[in-house]
Amino acid sequence: MSHATQASESTDSVTPPPNTELLLAARNLFCERDDRVLFKNLDFAVRPGQVLQVRGSNGSGKTTLLRIVCGLNDSYEGELSWCGEPVADVADDFYANLLFLGHRVGVSKALTPLENLRWTCTLNSAVDDAELLAALATVGLRGFEESQCFTLSAGQQQRVALARLLLSPARLWVLDEPFTTLDVRGVTQLEAMLHNHAAQGGSVLVTTHHPLNVPDLEVLDLG
Amino acid sequence: MWTWFHQLGSPKWFYELTGRWLPWLVAAMSLLLLVGIVWALLFVPPDYQQGNTIRIMYIHVPFASISLAFFPLMAIAGTVTLVWKIKLADMIAKTAAPLGAWFTALALASGSIWGSDIWGTWWIWDGRLTSMLLQLFLLIGVISLRSALEDTDAAAKACAVLSIVGCINVFVIKYSVDWWNTLHQPASPITTSGEGPNGPEIWVPLVIMIFAIYLFFAVALILSTRNEILQRERRAQWVQDLVRTA
Amino acid sequence: MVERIDSRPRSSTTTTAFVATLKRELILAYKRKHDVVNPFMFFLIVATLFPIGISPEPERLSLIAAGALWIAALLASLLAMDNLYRADYEDGSLEQMLLSPQPLYFMVLAKNIGHWLVSGLPVVLVSPLIAYMLSLPEGSYMTLFLTLLMGTPVLSLLGSIGVALTVGLGSRGLILAVITLPMSVPVLIAGTMAVTETQNGASLAGYLAIMGALLLGTLTLAPLASAAALRISVS
Repeated sequence: MSHATQASESTDSVTPPPNTELLLAARNLFCERDDRVLFKNLDFAVRPGQVLQVRGSNGSGKTTLLRIVCGLNDSYEGELSWCGEPVADVADDFYANLLFLGHRVGVSKALTPLENLRWTCTLNSAVDDAELLAALATVGLRGFEESQCFTLSAGQQQRVALARLLLSPARLWVLDEPFTTLDVRGVTQLEAMLHNHAAQGGSVLVTTHHPLNVPDLEVLDLG
Repeated sequence: MWTWFHQLGSPKWFYELTGRWLPWLVAAMSLLLLVGIVWALLFVPPDYQQGNTIRIMYIHVPFASISLAFFPLMAIAGTVTLVWKIKLADMIAKTAAPLGAWFTALALASGSIWGSDIWGTWWIWDGRLTSMLLQLFLLIGVISLRSALEDTDAAAKACAVLSIVGCINVFVIKYSVDWWNTLHQPASPITTSGEGPNGPEIWVPLVIMIFAIYLFFAVALILSTRNEILQRERRAQWVQDLVRTA
Repeated sequence: MVERIDSRPRSSTTTTAFVATLKRELILAYKRKHDVVNPFMFFLIVATLFPIGISPEPERLSLIAAGALWIAALLASLLAMDNLYRADYEDGSLEQMLLSPQPLYFMVLAKNIGHWLVSGLPVVLVSPLIAYMLSLPEGSYMTLFLTLLMGTPVLSLLGSIGVALTVGLGSRGLILAVITLPMSVPVLIAGTMAVTETQNGASLAGYLAIMGALLLGTLTLAPLASAAALRISVS
């Protein structure tokens, strides 16, 4: 874990956005599915350093909302903006700064944690194997780097995905129920990661029923 | 421009407009069909080679020519669906696919009946028949993809992509099959050109039948699109008013 | 304890992402060998059925050899396509690919190329042997080999569209066939005609040019359609 902490001077190699007040903003979102209105007139915004917790009962559209934000679902009406610009206009910058962790965590069972992490990270940023191994060790997978993922437990597979949080330069994390399947230590560690990310000026959009302990927390209740 | 475009995309507007057009279209179609069929069956002189068999041309050619229009139509509707998210375009595309399959099947059946007399067999691997058959398969592919996808929105977009791909493919298939066919056997004896002994008494009824079948297509497409509109907009106020007054 | 590791934030390039995706596809094939071996065995078995079903006489076989090989390759390619996106769809890797800042076109292309290398290329390589067993006329081997080499990638690229459209469906065997097989007809025609016509003295170059045009056309357009289809299937 010690070699995982290297000097991180700045993650903002990108030019400062015109509107630093809000990283992500949604205005007047409307979504219906199967003749049922999931949400309408939904407004929310995420500042740098803020964690926005999305809550709601089952079927209230939490996952749909997260997928809409990521652009995985486009059957909605309303506006989404990134740093004050419509997301469609700044798509390159948006996707370079987005990290999404869904229900299906993006870990191939046939590959090893190292191979999985190497590929998902390379899609966004250049990483070398030392960094990958350090991240896997940090999430408690030391010794499992070369085992195929189908031999790992659900929680361990979740940890493979969580290792991406340590390597990604993304400013916005969109996490769908990241605490499920994690054990007590994993939960504490993920909380610390969220805390850290927010402290460094990153933002988080997260669905969970887990009580979060971060300084700048806002709750969005979908009912 | 935009208001016009969105008005055009409004199912309610389409429903009302076609409601006004339908009686005229049906009247024109019935008249042309009646004139065309009577003329073709009773007054066209028998062909000097094919005899009375030539009369099936008045069914086959209109159906075959309109069958070629389905993939371009669905591809255009699909593009509108994907680019402008206009739901009406998808409703038209959805109803066009089964209609296209029926028209293509009828073109194949009439071609086969025609062939049974002049070639002495119900089926030969003639270039036109073969590419028509492949088009039928592609249309069935679009229909089965539509029915397999439960989510209306996803089905609309998936079928739009498949229709665009299919449209390009239909043309490539047509050229490649023609090429394949010319090398395997002499060109098809079915010709639609009005050369040789074919005078106006042959092609005027054909033109009438082509227009009649085109109108039949338009009426069928409009009627089934109107059904689709009522089905999809069933929760809209105007549909509920319509149902209450009906 | 949970410090971020990104000391130097460097963005990946399209090339590195392309190479990483291609490598991943090859590693996956190596780990799931049965996915690679099954279509190959299927190809061999289908090719074996032709002499049994039609005639073992060399004269008659030699007439259908090229067509039989092409049809077997077509069916094997269809069978192999099924697992191109399915596992990635089920485990969420596909979502990660869609959310990459890199163009999806190249990711799809990388997967298609990787998939062809492990499923299409073996079929092409073994085709002369099967052609010999089916009494393909002397002098047609090179034609058959080259057209299969250029034609099977077209089959993979077209099949990819069908798989991308149906990846979210529970049961899709027949739909995939209905969508994909008619699209493959031009390649089938070009491939079998090349063999029969060069036997009749036509020049091979013309047929290779046609095959090349089909390959270039699908290489440019099919991944676009696959990418659009994947976005639809994942939403």
